[in-house]
Amino acid sequence: MSVFYGLYSAMLVGATPILLAAIGGAFTYYAGIFNIAMEGMMLVGAFCAVLGSFFLHSWILGIVCSIAGALVMAGIFVLFAVRLHTDEFLTGIALNLFAVGLTTFLLRDIFHVKGAFTDPRIVAIPAVTVPFLGQIPVVGRLVSGYNAIIYVALAVTVVSAYVIFRTSFGLRLRAAGYNAACLNSSGVQTPAIRVWSLILCAICCGLAGAYLSLGSVRLFAENMSAGRGWISLAAVILVSGNPWGVGIISLLFGFFDGLTVFLQGSAIPTQFTAMIPYVATLVSLYFYSVRKRKA
Amino acid sequence: MRKQTLSGILGVLAALMIGGIVLALQGFNPFSTYGALLQYSLLSASGLSAMLSRAVPLVLTGLSASIAFGSGLNNLGQPGQLVIGALAATVVGLFVRLPAVALIPLCIAAAMVGGMLWSGLAAGLRRAFAMDEFIVTLMLNFIADYFTLWAITYPLFDPAALSPMTRPIRTYAWLSQVGGINASVLYMVAATVLCWLLMSKGVSGYEWRIMGQNRLFARIGGCRVDAHYVRVMLVTGALAGLAGGLMVMGGPHRFVKGLGANYAWDGVMIAVVANNSIPGTFLYGLLFSMLQQGAIGMELVTAVPSEFIDVLQAIIVLVVVAGRVSLNLMFDRIATRKKLRESLQ
Repeated sequence: MSVFYGLYSAMLVGATPILLAAIGGAFTYYAGIFNIAMEGMMLVGAFCAVLGSFFLHSWILGIVCSIAGALVMAGIFVLFAVRLHTDEFLTGIALNLFAVGLTTFLLRDIFHVKGAFTDPRIVAIPAVTVPFLGQIPVVGRLVSGYNAIIYVALAVTVVSAYVIFRTSFGLRLRAAGYNAACLNSSGVQTPAIRVWSLILCAICCGLAGAYLSLGSVRLFAENMSAGRGWISLAAVILVSGNPWGVGIISLLFGFFDGLTVFLQGSAIPTQFTAMIPYVATLVSLYFYSVRKRKA
Repeated sequence: MRKQTLSGILGVLAALMIGGIVLALQGFNPFSTYGALLQYSLLSASGLSAMLSRAVPLVLTGLSASIAFGSGLNNLGQPGQLVIGALAATVVGLFVRLPAVALIPLCIAAAMVGGMLWSGLAAGLRRAFAMDEFIVTLMLNFIADYFTLWAITYPLFDPAALSPMTRPIRTYAWLSQVGGINASVLYMVAATVLCWLLMSKGVSGYEWRIMGQNRLFARIGGCRVDAHYVRVMLVTGALAGLAGGLMVMGGPHRFVKGLGANYAWDGVMIAVVANNSIPGTFLYGLLFSMLQQGAIGMELVTAVPSEFIDVLQAIIVLVVVAGRVSLNLMFDRIATRKKLRESLQ
């Protein structure tokens, strides 16, 4: 039973950053932006979260800083891709590189360390005990006692599904991607919708970044997003942006990510277990492609 | 072409200016920093030699990305193809007993085949199951990373070493210094010339470029798009693999942990700023290697951390690419106005 709980919580830990980033990616996906900057936004978010938490002694301010950092990245994306009409793909690549460079540079410049920064003064995001459900024997362990961001991620998924499919903003968002000219002619500024989608994406990626550096651990390491932004992009593409689909795919990746942690003590070399999430992405891409081909 | 050069030079200058402002805001002197950067790369013999060696993986992965993007393929797998190529060259260099005359070409061939194998895997998945190479090559990067790490941690591990690395390859496979410059630089120059000939003089290069501009048009025009697709993937994989092989043979002579890590995205970045042109890739490769090599010296004499260069590189990419688009828009606008005035008269 403890194996089950261990795997279950490892799955949630692995799924949360991917889920949040992928929900962010879903907004831009619907708005018709080929946004690959989630990786960079998440990384900058993770760094700013540590920055805020360390200097302002509060995890809430850490999250605020994280979102602010990701928003700055979104601002650069807007400036180049929306205002200056630079190719979105190129802007995204440059932003990701910029994020790696910037965070490593600032890590060195502000904290005077190379590689990773950790300090007892960094305030982590606390775990939350759910009031009533937490008391029930089995269910309690499944729903209570997890990091606050995990509950936020759940709420973000539900809210984003509602916003995208049930509100007029969501309709405009989908129209921006589906037929921008049509949306323009109906009097809605497509660029404005796209800017909003990027802002929402940055908020989600900021939360994901804060979870990476202040959630399960309390440190910032160089390039600590480690390809999660790319996996979340794959998740968005695999389900065509649908938030519920994104949720399921993220849990799946989280499971394999958790499996990685779980198999660390076994006879299989860690290098092979570490490959699992990436292989899982390839396998799910295979099923997606085969299904799409038949359709 | 002239517009390209102009916007490139303007962009790099503007980026350097922005970098200078960033430095000044941090309380560093931008002039002495850039001076130190030059001093330790272009302006000293040892710096120049090190800079050229450093340019090898940058230019070769840049060529790989340029040819792929120019042909409309999203091969983002250079980092993975590089480490697999390096591993293949290392294995041949470790276990094959041959004189240098035969061993060096064999190692180079092995590196290229290694890279081709890795990009060919992505090409095969695309051809067989229509899996998008964009995600496949990305994921294969991580897999290659862990695979090579495993290979140098267990089967090929040097028992005398403290961190994961292989034993040194046989000295016959080492690339020598020719006039103070590592022989790998010559291979890089040769590869660049070959790529340039292929892309701007060859028939396949022409067809690839058309494919990059409009796949449908190319197909209707009679290009065998699918066959070309596989060929481009193999060529670009071979180039990235070659980069890895030359790094092992010219540099540490063994596969060290984190070999390709510093060059992971540089190839893609260089192709992006060079707008997929082969001479542009070569020049930007040299520029970036100059910055990276100079950064080491810059850190020695000034208080600026070498990581500043990573920021500067990203600024260059953004400013040059955005500058190109805006300048083109401006030129078009001027041309339109001129036409308009002519037609009104």
